[in-house]
Amino acid sequence: MSSKPVTLNLQQLDFEQIKEIIPQRFPFLMLDRVIEIEPGVRVVGLKNLTGNEWFYQGHFPRKAITPGAMICEAIAQTGIVFFHLSRPGHEDVTYLMGSLKIRFLEPVWPGDQLRIEVMPIKVIANAGILNATVTVEDRVVTKGEFALAAKENGSL
Amino acid sequence: MSTLNAEQEVKELIADIIEMDPNEIDPNAHLVEDLGMDSMMALEILAALEKRYKIKLPEEELPKITTVNRVIELTKKYVE
Repeated sequence: MSSKPVTLNLQQLDFEQIKEIIPQRFPFLMLDRVIEIEPGVRVVGLKNLTGNEWFYQGHFPRKAITPGAMICEAIAQTGIVFFHLSRPGHEDVTYLMGSLKIRFLEPVWPGDQLRIEVMPIKVIANAGILNATVTVEDRVVTKGEFALAAKENGSL
Repeated sequence: MSTLNAEQEVKELIADIIEMDPNEIDPNAHLVEDLGMDSMMALEILAALEKRYKIKLPEEELPKITTVNRVIELTKKYVE
């Protein structure tokens, strides 16, 4: 395998660029890279899970398994990136999840790489219903729909 | 689309979003004041209507759907 670093182009976001968009930080940053961007159409993000993730300490001490809540967080953060890139010019915004209908189809383990694809179902100026499909090695492990609202800071 | 179909289908669709028995939904009910809905739920109604009837509803319709009856009228307007 080549040790050459991955070259990021305008259709991708690296970890530092993601941090410019989403406000979450350790231990709640659940997105490592955005690998596909079609503004208003879809965004695909990656999250690499290592056995060192903080939540495996308690979930569970004898058998590490990824909490569904953290997968939902990865979905929400990919949704924020989708929304941000679809609405240029809105920088000072807080994103709130309004609802979530989710189905966990397979367990997710340390060492898995989550591929999170978010696509719009219905998007308006300041909110959207989005569809999310999470895969690990082409197997769908989680899928669902969620609602995200964008609130200009100062309006909260 | 008959009036009866529209009314029943919209009530079922709203009931699914707010997790309520469709038979308990009064067509005259106000979405916010009587059913406890919020703006995100209203958006969910639009998305559900679009999916069910394969229609496109403009964002401008969102503030107009204040009651169950208004949702029924909207549905008939775009489906017929």
